[in-house]
Amino acid sequence: MKHSFCIFSALAKHWFRSKTGVFFSFMFPAMLLLIFGTVFGGAGAQTYTLHVQNLDLVDGEPTELSSALINILDSTGTFKIENLPADVDIADYVREHPSFTDYRILVIPENFQQKAMDKSIYVRAGVILDTLSFVVENYGYTMTENQVGSIENGMDVLKMWRENMGSENAEILLLTDEGDTAAPIVRGVISSVINAFNNEMIGVEAVVSVSENQLTQRSFKAVDYYLPGYIAAFIMTNGIIGVTSNISEFRRNGVIKRLAATPLQKSSWIIGNLAHQVLLAFMLMLAMIALGWLIFGVQAIPGPYALLLIFMGTVVFCSIGMVLGGIFKDVEAASAAGNAIAFPMMFLSGAFWPVEMMPDFMQGVARCMPLYYFHDGLRQIMIYQNPTQALVPFAILGVLAAVFVYLAIKITKWKEL
Amino acid sequence: MVEKVIEVKELTKKYGNLSAVDHISFDVYRGEIFSLVGPNGAGKTTTVEILECLRKPTSGVARVFGLDVVHDEEKIKKKIGVVPQEFNTFNRLTVKENVDLVAKIYGVKSGLKQNLKRLGLWEIKDKKFEALSGGTKRRVGIAMALAGKPELLFLDEPTTGLDPQARRELWETIRSLKKMGVTIFLTTHYMEEVEALSDRASIIVKGKLFTTGTVSELVSKYGGDIKIVVKGERRAETVIKRFTKNVFVGEQGNIIGTFPNRRDVAKALLSLYKLSGKCRINVVEPTMEDVFLRVVGGRIDESGELIS
Repeated sequence: MKHSFCIFSALAKHWFRSKTGVFFSFMFPAMLLLIFGTVFGGAGAQTYTLHVQNLDLVDGEPTELSSALINILDSTGTFKIENLPADVDIADYVREHPSFTDYRILVIPENFQQKAMDKSIYVRAGVILDTLSFVVENYGYTMTENQVGSIENGMDVLKMWRENMGSENAEILLLTDEGDTAAPIVRGVISSVINAFNNEMIGVEAVVSVSENQLTQRSFKAVDYYLPGYIAAFIMTNGIIGVTSNISEFRRNGVIKRLAATPLQKSSWIIGNLAHQVLLAFMLMLAMIALGWLIFGVQAIPGPYALLLIFMGTVVFCSIGMVLGGIFKDVEAASAAGNAIAFPMMFLSGAFWPVEMMPDFMQGVARCMPLYYFHDGLRQIMIYQNPTQALVPFAILGVLAAVFVYLAIKITKWKEL
Repeated sequence: MVEKVIEVKELTKKYGNLSAVDHISFDVYRGEIFSLVGPNGAGKTTTVEILECLRKPTSGVARVFGLDVVHDEEKIKKKIGVVPQEFNTFNRLTVKENVDLVAKIYGVKSGLKQNLKRLGLWEIKDKKFEALSGGTKRRVGIAMALAGKPELLFLDEPTTGLDPQARRELWETIRSLKKMGVTIFLTTHYMEEVEALSDRASIIVKGKLFTTGTVSELVSKYGGDIKIVVKGERRAETVIKRFTKNVFVGEQGNIIGTFPNRRDVAKALLSLYKLSGKCRINVVEPTMEDVFLRVVGGRIDESGELIS
């Protein structure tokens, strides 16, 4: 143990003095967390840019009703409203202002207010006629003949008046790009707003309503999902890529031979390396969680179970790195092998996005990767606070740790270097 | 009787059909500097690494302090210090940290300062290894090898790649280690180094050991004749011919006489000094280079390659 601590201490000092090592182990994951956390909604709700061209003007000013519609859309918080001038040709505008984000343009036509008012009166009159007809048919026996005749005369007058009213819908136009995956969301929100607007116009009171209640004590954001994935993924890369290249470099430049010629045991060397990686992993976890707390207000809580799982995951990936470093004598070949294993695992295991988003076949592939169980277990423990759901990850990582430590001891050469 | 520190008998190391070391035998005695000299690929490092317990021999016997290199690895490693060929260590650790690391592995708690001072490293103890010159790095290697207070030190090509000044400084260090009573096993391809440092030496080429002995034994046995070279005096030819038949006129009219024994050399020199004082007389002694040429039939160039 004393010898292992000597190696651990030497490796830790050696590593901390490497600017590139520190950058790729800490700064790079932190930068990715900041970028992905911001892009995928860590810091606030998702918004969509909506261009609005209001053609319903009176003396150059938007009508009251069209302005009200735009204000309601704006108040949903879903849209960032960008007003397009009425005299702009939309096709020309889109051509002259190319954008990597999809265009969603809402056009409010001329006479929108007039048409909406006319149609609302037309609809209201229809509702009155239907109601009176229903009353006469079902409750006429409770009235005198004169009363029934008066109602029917009034209905005839209302019908004649209504037929002279405009019944054309005030149709607004939504233009979206082909292949815009967010278009259904935008369309759905606008439809909801229009439905509410329609009901308001014709004076309909709500019959069915939705009430909301919180299912759990805590609410999660996208970054809560990503954080354990990032921690697990970068512990994995530090282990498989970092350890592989370190081991092969130490062997190439004779450091391992120098140590092998002393009374240092091979097992002490391996334990020292594992301990060093565990320290890095704990530091990475704390740094990432601190960043997540400060910037995105993540829910992650590190506890003893999380530390235990991180210890096990680090042992698995560091041992894999030592196995690769032992197999490949050439530094370049060892690094290439590390990359070839680490990068597919990083992207296919669901560390960066939910596995459920992937096709069935790929989900099967993801579940064959140790990283999947590592980040899934971490998420269950740190985010959902549900360690019992992490029993399978614990079991799988435990078995893998035993297997790869055994292989690392067998494959690491302490003679014939 | 002087104690044998290393005992090698019929030692062989094969890689497939290739014999890197082929039935070699030699002994190393306590307190001496022993050199294993040969060109690149001769089997020097393989031999050293077998003795350091870093390689397993295919056959034969190799004992260090009477312990078998295959079965007593742990005991042997506690008693030896090693400076591998092209020595390297954790390059972002300081000199002190690197030496201290090895001392801790050996369980040695004292003597760090003394060790660093002896090798002239105390003033630069806080410098990172990567910032040191080639010669200083080798001294750090020796300091690390001495950190465990070994009785036997293996130096595998310690001066290869160093400039002449750094090489000579390292020789001084090696001599001082001998004075401390450390037995030193040195491998080298520099004949000059063998002459400057070694008590005894073995010549190894292509895995085979050609000869072993003290440097003076090897020189007198295989070095060949002593030469007297006289410049600027034609009459010297007549004088020298009185003591040896082997006289010839060399480049630039130099008179060269070769003598199989020292007594005739002395007589010839006395006679030559009686000639006018205008001539210049040089006595050329045979060297290990001549020994190597005679024994192996080739020379070793600066990079360590054998030239036939």
